[in-house]
Amino acid sequence: MSASSLAPVAARKASRPAPRSAANRRARRFVSRGVVVAGLVIFTIWTLAPILWAVISSFLPQTALTSTPPDLSPTNLTLDNFQAVLAGDRSLVRGLINSSIIAVSTSAVALTLGSLAAYALARLHVPGSNKILLMILATQMFPGIVVVIPLFIVISRLGLIDTYIALIVVYLSFILPIVVWILKGFFEAVPVELERAAAVDGASVLQTFRLIVLPISLPPLFATGVFAFIESWNEFFFAVILTRINVKTAPIAIAEFSGQYTTLYGQMVAAAVLASIPVIVLAVVFRQYILKGFVEGAVKG
Amino acid sequence: MSRQHGATWPFGRLRASGYLGRQRRMGILLILPALVVMFAVLGYPIVSSIVLSLQHVEPGGGKFSGTWVGLANYLNIPSDPAFGTALSNSIYFTAIEVIVVVSLGLAVAMLLNHPLGRSAFFRVILLIPWALAPVANAVIWKWIYNANYGILNYVLHDLGIINQYVVWLGDPRLALNSLLVADIWKSIPFIALLLLAGLQNVPPILYRAARLDGASAWQTFRFVTLPQMRTTILICVVLQSIWALKVFDLIYVLTKGGPADGTVLLNFLSYRETFDFGDFGYGAALADVLFVMMFVLALIYLRVFRPTSGARQAGA
Repeated sequence: MSASSLAPVAARKASRPAPRSAANRRARRFVSRGVVVAGLVIFTIWTLAPILWAVISSFLPQTALTSTPPDLSPTNLTLDNFQAVLAGDRSLVRGLINSSIIAVSTSAVALTLGSLAAYALARLHVPGSNKILLMILATQMFPGIVVVIPLFIVISRLGLIDTYIALIVVYLSFILPIVVWILKGFFEAVPVELERAAAVDGASVLQTFRLIVLPISLPPLFATGVFAFIESWNEFFFAVILTRINVKTAPIAIAEFSGQYTTLYGQMVAAAVLASIPVIVLAVVFRQYILKGFVEGAVKG
Repeated sequence: MSRQHGATWPFGRLRASGYLGRQRRMGILLILPALVVMFAVLGYPIVSSIVLSLQHVEPGGGKFSGTWVGLANYLNIPSDPAFGTALSNSIYFTAIEVIVVVSLGLAVAMLLNHPLGRSAFFRVILLIPWALAPVANAVIWKWIYNANYGILNYVLHDLGIINQYVVWLGDPRLALNSLLVADIWKSIPFIALLLLAGLQNVPPILYRAARLDGASAWQTFRFVTLPQMRTTILICVVLQSIWALKVFDLIYVLTKGGPADGTVLLNFLSYRETFDFGDFGYGAALADVLFVMMFVLALIYLRVFRPTSGARQAGA
């Protein structure tokens, strides 16, 4: 018994495990591929469904939206909702214009001040630069409400409630720190030899920055500007407190719309879709930079 | 140049002549405008907010004349029933949001890190909810949650999951959970992108070693992925907690804090006390409490996770 049973055991040990584990591995890979595919499908549906439904709804008339089930026949598709929300007596057009002015100005100022500060922090051996960077990060922890109550009082006293300048300056407070942080990462990646060569040739610090660093950093600068644009375009909290009539931004127009015309579902959603198009297009077009610069920068920082 | 630099260096960094000294002076000059703006719009209000919280302010005619009341505003907080509700709502909202967003974000990141998920398509659809304005997001969900014609009721009813249409925003706890779902949907993409970047920084050799050692998928996740991702996950937890405590647009558009204060978070409570009820001193006190909470939370996270020692262990 012992001799005859031992031999097969030894043989099994030597030969069997190999084919079994290979089949096993194949089966396991099959299962894991299945899990991944199922996960990707669920993820895609979950992420896209609300947006698709909003887009479809914005093209449907009220009667189609309020019938059960919703009447999705393509003959119903109409631009009426968009025409209605863009009609002159509603504030959406004004909001889109105001948001463009504010977002472009904020991005321009943030890029100008931010790129100078970021270059100094990246290269110029500023004393206490670590502390300054820590302060910049800490600003991200401030809840807006702490800042906005005193600012509201100051801005009221200055008579600047409902003005572009008030909103732009307040937006700089949270956009400037992010811009400095992102650009610092970009400038650090510029080969320092280029700047040394410029210095040897007698270029001043500002000349080096303007003639060497800025030109090769144009794509990231532009992308950072896009990021600043998206952030200020979407901002709502400060805008709702610091504006009244004249400089109402697009998000405020959307919110008012959904408050006033609560039963005009198609128009309510059309306003939201319309105001989201610019930022979503920007984000998708500049995705390479957003993914590379901001996301990886945040993880490393 | 180096000798000249060496001679002046110890006597004062700013007075140092030569290239380095010029660089430093110029550096300070370049940082100054950004710092001035940040100080004016962040530093001043924070100090001023504390001063304000010690006053009772009558906002008559936009003059905001205050009288000193010491700590009265702070002492009123514990007995304010709205504060108790807002505090428990905030804790619930933040805890659930952080746990769900970070774990689902990690799942999404791992899916997108898998060879089958590397297509640019998935990264593009992640960017859409991220770039969407929070107000637009709120309006879209307002339509989805609509009690009579909302697609959610229709789909759930059609599938037989609910017998009759649900008023999603009509019950305090249900409304808070509905807000949570809308905010989780919006928050997952950015956290997933952060975690994906973290996953891509994990040295592939660790996975090869785990496979050679015969580790199962779970073991690989538990003993390779998680320890390597410690710092990234910590960053995500901190960021997401801060963002959850700042949620405002969703509440403003969907519920205005109701029903029965069921969706009032601390941030919104402070806003309401200040700008709807005109009590600037009390509102500022509430805002300062929130500020301290967020600060303490960040410190606790840093303590618990100890990112540097974790990274060192994992790297060793």
